[in-house]
Amino acid sequence: MNFMQPITDTVLQVHDLHTHFLTETAVVKAVNGVSFSLKPGERVAIVGESGSGKSAMAMSLIRLLAYPGKIVSGEVIVGGRDITKLSEAELNGVRGSEVGTIFQDPMSSLDPVMRVSEQMIPPIMRNLGLPRKEARDIAVGWLDRVGIPDAAGRIDAYPFEMSGGMRQRVMIAMALSCNPRLIIADEPTTALDVTIQAQIVELLKNLTAETGAAMLFITHDLGLVARFAHKVGVMYAGKIVEFGSAADVFAHPRHPYTQSLLRTIPNAAGAERERLLQIPGFPPDMRNPPVGCSFRERCAAAQDRCAVSTPELTFRGVDHSAACFLPNGLNDAPAPPKPVKRAIRLSNEADLVPQQDILEMHNLRKHFPGKATFPWSKPKTVRAVNGVNLRMRKGETLGIVGESGCGKSTLARLLLGLDEPTTGEIFIAGIAQMVFQDPYSSFNPKMTIFNIIEEPLIVTGAGTRPERAEKVRALIKQVGLEESYLDRYPNQLSGGQRQRVGVARALALNPSVVVADEPTSALDVSVRAQIINLLCDLKDDLGISFIFISHDLLTVRYISDRIAVMYLGEVVEYGPAEDVFLKPAHPYTRALIDAIPTPDPAIEAQRSINIISGELPSPLNIPTGCAFASRCFKVTDRCREEKPVLVAHSQKRDAACHFPL
Amino acid sequence: MAITFTTPARASFLLRMPKLPGMRFLAGNKKARLALIILVPILLLTAFASYLPLQGPLQTNLRAMMQEPSFYHPFGTDRMGRDVLARTLAGVQVSLLVGFSVATIALVFGIVLGTIAGFFGRTVDRAIMSIVDIFLAFPSLLLAIGLVSIVGTGLIPVILAIALADVPRFIRLQRSLVLSLRSRAYIDAARTVKASQWWLMSRHIVPNTIAPLLVAGSIAAANAILVEASLSFLGLGIMPPSPSLGNIIRDGQLYLQQAWWISTMPGVVILAIALSLHFLSDGIREALDPRARK
Repeated sequence: MNFMQPITDTVLQVHDLHTHFLTETAVVKAVNGVSFSLKPGERVAIVGESGSGKSAMAMSLIRLLAYPGKIVSGEVIVGGRDITKLSEAELNGVRGSEVGTIFQDPMSSLDPVMRVSEQMIPPIMRNLGLPRKEARDIAVGWLDRVGIPDAAGRIDAYPFEMSGGMRQRVMIAMALSCNPRLIIADEPTTALDVTIQAQIVELLKNLTAETGAAMLFITHDLGLVARFAHKVGVMYAGKIVEFGSAADVFAHPRHPYTQSLLRTIPNAAGAERERLLQIPGFPPDMRNPPVGCSFRERCAAAQDRCAVSTPELTFRGVDHSAACFLPNGLNDAPAPPKPVKRAIRLSNEADLVPQQDILEMHNLRKHFPGKATFPWSKPKTVRAVNGVNLRMRKGETLGIVGESGCGKSTLARLLLGLDEPTTGEIFIAGIAQMVFQDPYSSFNPKMTIFNIIEEPLIVTGAGTRPERAEKVRALIKQVGLEESYLDRYPNQLSGGQRQRVGVARALALNPSVVVADEPTSALDVSVRAQIINLLCDLKDDLGISFIFISHDLLTVRYISDRIAVMYLGEVVEYGPAEDVFLKPAHPYTRALIDAIPTPDPAIEAQRSINIISGELPSPLNIPTGCAFASRCFKVTDRCREEKPVLVAHSQKRDAACHFPL
Repeated sequence: MAITFTTPARASFLLRMPKLPGMRFLAGNKKARLALIILVPILLLTAFASYLPLQGPLQTNLRAMMQEPSFYHPFGTDRMGRDVLARTLAGVQVSLLVGFSVATIALVFGIVLGTIAGFFGRTVDRAIMSIVDIFLAFPSLLLAIGLVSIVGTGLIPVILAIALADVPRFIRLQRSLVLSLRSRAYIDAARTVKASQWWLMSRHIVPNTIAPLLVAGSIAAANAILVEASLSFLGLGIMPPSPSLGNIIRDGQLYLQQAWWISTMPGVVILAIALSLHFLSDGIREALDPRARK
């Protein structure tokens, strides 16, 4: 067969792609007419909330749709061939050799019982037609390029012998090993820690620049888009509603959805703390997509014609198009939504009387003893929390940040009395309550919302039955839900509504401290803003102190009065949020701030980013000196021998470093 | 004034029924429907056996020995002229009683001991589980035979003997379910308000283990019916002349060549009951776990 290769400079062309999921009860129209193209070397990000069809779209491009997904119509042209019309056998020639794929979870996309070499070498042999020995050399070469130390030896390791970051590097090496012209990555860094994410992003940037491969990546992280993408496509309800160069879309968004989305995240500059914008309503049900513009019910600029005809993507400038009738989207609305002027109020130093300490931790430690290798040897101990001293004043919000494994969640469990500290003391004036990360698993699926919120009241024997019912109704209103929700079960609520119920339950006993452990990380971007606004309001109205645990530094900075940065079970820096963010004293804080991309390409372009190398050491083997010594750029012999303690760095700030920045 | 019966409470109860996903699904599930189509007539016939125009299960008729199935004796008669259908229906009564009792005993003990072992862990867990492991080391039929030969034959000993073999399995199942639930965030949420351990177990843990236990329970019932038939067939279960499906088959096996129906008819009924109980458990599982649906 001799295919006519059209002379174009596009790697991928998608024409009017429709992908439906034919379930038993209904047809879910996940992708509803998507068209775009990619040039060599281009990195295009597709952003959208869950359910927007972005993953279904990406998987359609290589026909890896899960049952019962089906490409209904449209063309996907890669290398002159229409993917939608190829046979399975022909497809296998395209997958790997022309299109490389990187999935979200490197653990489940690598076969756990096969060595890396067994998974990597055969595709190279097949696609490049090489004998095993040469294919192996190529594989080792790629592993070396993606930064795997001792690649020649590690190629025979099993995936479980590698860390998450290493596995994702292996995935990238596999995707690139047959020199594809196009790489499709579905949330390639979501499962990784922030510092590892920054390393992987940098790696992908360099490799695509070197090889000239184009890259399409799916993400929900606007910061990542700003740092990584040349172009961005915003998906909503199965359609691309805005497409253009990242700089242009972030600076001058034209579609109301993009405009709203960008205002739901805390301002990257961090100067003003205006209330975050909330997008009202819900995305449409894709079993039954609405006629006309699918965003119109949530749009302040909606007009009569939006309900009748669907706006198509039209040019708004060089390389920029949007699907809206209005040239400037929300800015053309008769009454554009203004940010509510109720700014988030930071607690003044003057308000905070030292006598009103509400929480104190003294030399708090939590060690988990491990299993000894031999009966006579000393068991290794995981030092999850290793000597934390913190205090909080009434009405203050303390943000705790750090990578996973730094002990921040263990600290929360100690505060709530879920675990007993190994040593140390906790004093709490009043009681502490918790808002959990995943609002779904924190509710008993067999209980109604009423019973869930009432539970703390029953358990503590508060009030009579009618009094409790009264209190439950007051609580559900306080978190902004209607009373009718009380009869429902958790699975009948959306993610944001569930998290509101989680907040209501935490407030039931009038706590003095509420610990929120990653309360927004399981939620979509537009819903996050609602929960953050809610927490800010409650702080103002009720004078509750919050401990806000997160790895999302922008949100922590937005909501917190003070920040404590944790590394390997210790607090390495503590001080007022804005100070810590703008002038970090500890090298780790600096590295963490650098690792986290800001959702603004203009800022990203100007930042000098120092990405720390290496990974978190095992908490089983904490170094004798400074815990951060193995990854620090300022490390000296003194750091490796002598452990720095948390001392006053400036008037308001503490840092645990021999050579603070 | 007869209309005032319908209280709003009752009406709302009826309205709520379809909300149970299981109920709605059972009605629409093919396997469950097939199971019910087989089980319900058998249950009805068994329940109203004494009203049917049949001779009593123990009544002999020496003038009508080993007659082929006919209108008056749909399952034929045996070597003493007893009606095989009447005896089979009486045997089904015993079978269902055994199956239901064994499942109930296994569920009750399994829930109580399994929850205690899984929830408290440590020494309690080790004590309970080491006994369980000892029992699990014996094949269940051998265990039952051994126990029956010590205690004696009859309905109650058979039920206890079969249940003894099932209880350890249920303890083990319940324990593993509890272990997976124990670390759920909603348990932590209740612990932060200092909920008692009784509260955690009764409100949060046991209600969430009921669904998989019901599935296992219906399989255990089917299994118990087969074990009872085996015991009776071996002459260790229900003693003749009291009918049981097992001893009817045993009675008939000597005459298989002359009168195939004596053994075959009750055999088919056992097969139908056991099969439909398995279908029912599949149906329950699919109803409760949406991922099992294709």
